Amino acid sequence: MSNTINRKAVAWKGYEKFLFRLFFIYFFLQAVPLDWKYYRQVFSIDWSSLGYGAIFNLAHYAPRFTSGTPGYVDWGILLAIAFSGAIGWTVIDTRRYHVTNYDNGYYWLRVIVRYRLAIGIIAYGFIKLFPLLSPYPSLSNLNTEYGDFTRWKLFSLSLGIVPSYESFLGAVEIVGGLLLFYRKTASIGAFIIAVFLGNVFMSNVAYGGGEEVYSLYLSSLALFVLSYDAVRLLNLLLLQRAAAPNRYRPVFAGRGRRYARLAFKTAFILFFVVLYGFKTRSGYKHAPYQFPTSKGLPGAAGIYNVSEFIIGKDTLAYSKTDSTRWQDVVFENWATLSIRSNRPVLLDSNNSERPGLPDDERDYELEGSAGRHYYTYTNDSVNRLLTLRNKNPHYAGERWVLHYERPLGSRIVLSGVGSVGSGGEGVGSGKDSVYAVLDRIDKKYLLEEARKRGRQGGLSL
Amino acid sequence: MSTATPAPVWTGAQKLAFRIAAFFFISISIPNSVEWYNTVFHIDWTRLHYRDLYDIARFGSGINLFGDHLFGSNLLGYANWIITLLISIAAGVIWTVVVRRRGTERKEYNTFYYWLRVVVRYRAGIGIIGFGFTKLLPVQMPYPGLGLLNTNFGDLTAQKIFWLSVGIVPWYQVFAGVIEVTAGTLLFFRRTTTLGAILLFGALGDIVYVNFAYDGGVHVYSSYFVLLAAFLLADDLPRLYNLLIRERDTQPHTYYPSFSARWLKIARIGLKGLTFFLFLGVLFYLQLVNFLYDPYKQPAVAGLRTLRGSYAVTEFRLNNKVVPYSPSDSLGWKEVEFEKWSSLSYVVNKATPLDLSNGGGDPQRDVNRNFEITGVAGGRRVFHYYADTIDKVLYLEDKYKAIPDRRNRAAGAGGDGGAPGPADIAATTGRGHRKGREAQAQPRYDAGMEKSPKGSNGKDWISAAALAHIGKEVDQIDPRAASTRRDQEYAQAKWEKRNRMVLRYDTIDGGNRVILSGINERNDSVYIVLDRINKNYVLTESSLQAGKY
Repeated sequence: MSNTINRKAVAWKGYEKFLFRLFFIYFFLQAVPLDWKYYRQVFSIDWSSLGYGAIFNLAHYAPRFTSGTPGYVDWGILLAIAFSGAIGWTVIDTRRYHVTNYDNGYYWLRVIVRYRLAIGIIAYGFIKLFPLLSPYPSLSNLNTEYGDFTRWKLFSLSLGIVPSYESFLGAVEIVGGLLLFYRKTASIGAFIIAVFLGNVFMSNVAYGGGEEVYSLYLSSLALFVLSYDAVRLLNLLLLQRAAAPNRYRPVFAGRGRRYARLAFKTAFILFFVVLYGFKTRSGYKHAPYQFPTSKGLPGAAGIYNVSEFIIGKDTLAYSKTDSTRWQDVVFENWATLSIRSNRPVLLDSNNSERPGLPDDERDYELEGSAGRHYYTYTNDSVNRLLTLRNKNPHYAGERWVLHYERPLGSRIVLSGVGSVGSGGEGVGSGKDSVYAVLDRIDKKYLLEEARKRGRQGGLSL
Repeated sequence: MSTATPAPVWTGAQKLAFRIAAFFFISISIPNSVEWYNTVFHIDWTRLHYRDLYDIARFGSGINLFGDHLFGSNLLGYANWIITLLISIAAGVIWTVVVRRRGTERKEYNTFYYWLRVVVRYRAGIGIIGFGFTKLLPVQMPYPGLGLLNTNFGDLTAQKIFWLSVGIVPWYQVFAGVIEVTAGTLLFFRRTTTLGAILLFGALGDIVYVNFAYDGGVHVYSSYFVLLAAFLLADDLPRLYNLLIRERDTQPHTYYPSFSARWLKIARIGLKGLTFFLFLGVLFYLQLVNFLYDPYKQPAVAGLRTLRGSYAVTEFRLNNKVVPYSPSDSLGWKEVEFEKWSSLSYVVNKATPLDLSNGGGDPQRDVNRNFEITGVAGGRRVFHYYADTIDKVLYLEDKYKAIPDRRNRAAGAGGDGGAPGPADIAATTGRGHRKGREAQAQPRYDAGMEKSPKGSNGKDWISAAALAHIGKEVDQIDPRAASTRRDQEYAQAKWEKRNRMVLRYDTIDGGNRVILSGINERNDSVYIVLDRINKNYVLTESSLQAGKY
């Protein structure tokens, strides 16, 4: 598995060797999971019911020395380690080994980076190809004012309304990733990914996304892979000079090594592409991760006008400015209910991907969104009781127990008590009683009407 | 002639393909509408507007002598390409037969191929730069005004949502513009053509998909650049394949005609210099002026400072009867916004006809700049106002009109503009004739102001005294943004059928309360008490803001 066939080993210059050592240590540490926290994650996976979320998290590795998400500081530490390591390595080499070149080492480092990058990009590719990452907006999202969202949330919602485009973006990532698995197409794949991730990085910066560092991390891997062919490409395309191809061929001497290579490559692709692809596909059909999946109050999904509203003993008239008066209520298909009022919302500002969370921790619907308060509920259908809990971590203590009547198909009457709990504000403090008559609005959304009828004909709404 | 040795003899198939390609790509690189030539011919080069150069850069092309329909369909707008291709194939075959019969067939088309690439390079380069500058100085996608910020997400079209999603991040829009302008500039140099073409292919390929997904309506024009980029890439792709996949030694493209003759040198440098000067220098300056003082999708004239803001409707009286506030009632106003420009926006819970266009184009008059209503529902109405600040009266005109203006006139077929819209259709019907008579009945014009000879009560809509107080709208932007185009469009303004209101405004408590009273669009008297809402939006504004208000 060493040496080349049709190429005389060319001696590398001193600085080339030093740079190689530096990059080798740096990218090896960036790409190969040595972080013990990663293995804690590996061992916590329930392999009997492996979901796409677990595989996504395995592929979403970046080393970190601090708690929280990886940052540029971690890169700095790695670079410092790589720099001192390269100096030590150079000293030892000049004293003892006198290595003339690192053609083999470069090849294998590139293999490691290629595979690391491939699974990282494909992990994102499949949750876009099967549009899980940005789902179609919920009813509550559709009924929230544009200015009540953060930029990042608007980015995600805007992508969510066009699943076909999201799939297209995912397909580009997957194609780029697959090209990395083959030496000859690796640079083409790396180029596609570098351009794609460059844009993802810019989007994260502009929209305040949570994957800024990670997307730049993957971009840096792509640029490293591409740099192998960069000189010949620039020669051919830009300087318009004759270009020499890559002449290095890895040699896998002996059957054992050939089989080992084949087995490793196959296993890798089977797990991170084929199995993961199937898991995301079935996840898209049966287990999307952004919205909860437990069923809501049967037949209740929709937006409701609050025709009557009594808090304690006071009947409150309609008001867009009162912080207590409910303006409208949305029942989702799943067990979430949201209330619009002028009561302020402290934002749940998570903006990074967390697939695989249990139902009651899925907060995508309220992340980066004000204007409404979101409650998850359980339904005691015998006693007709909804037990509500505010989903926003800033209002974790808020609970309501509401009795419901459904005198008409389109009307729900809620009555009961609750408390906002500590730290919250708005609906009084301590125990409050509330009585609300909700009437379903036959709401037509332009987003959907224009899609059905096209923009050419006239439309009144 | 050449600096190296290109293929000395082309195969028969290569030559046939070249002849077809030559016909096809030259056809789609030349403007095909009379209006374009007319527009360009009438440009006033002494008082330019950015749209003058934009119009030069953006045109429809392809052979359209035989119409733009195939089998009764325009094939999503691509029928023109197919027709052009069919004609090019026919022309290529005839050409081949003729030269073979006459025995005058050439061995190769190296020089012709070079010049064909030059034509395509410059067409693509100028076209994408024209587009790119409206992003580089971010005006193509405006930041939403108060009315849009207060509109529910589901009450917008997909097209609107995409435009807004870029509008909220002006710096990202700048980035997209830099990519487009860079791609275009790279195409002006033969060595960087492939890089530019790759960039153009990637960026515009994405935009094509965006247009299909969001129903953006510019899919043909964006596909056009993908097609041109693909043609430019065709030359180097086999070399890349040879180098990377087959791993063989690869020779670069080296055939260039000689420019040693003096007049050739001068012509080349002169034309190239002119292109740079016009489309990188002058266009940048004009676009900067547009960004600073007259962002083309937003009204340019500043709104009244004392009124700007969002308001809750505390009291609403219609013909002296109070209409109690209720979300389900269809008479009263639910909320009111005064934008930083000259627009009043309000919501009524009653269906209204919508304008589902992109809200772009090149209208100069603020009343026709309708980005704030296009693709927006939720009962929102937006009126443009002329303010008489001395008598405190607003003269309001609905931004919606049943017969919309034709936009991107110079673009024509293949440029995703000027497709016959309702306005053109109406011109041949009774409706259009009536409109024409209405226009004729209105000979008097006062710059910047439409006037009716007689309002419903037998008087002018705006009295001469009020007109004097209002002043001329055409002059109410920064003088640096003045242009012949603007003056002409204001001068040609005609009386149109729109909803109109005349409302007196009174401010109380330092502007925290505003009372509007007067006649609404249905000639009913209204009395509206508004209380200011100081809302902190979660969506944070950028440091980069277009316009001067």
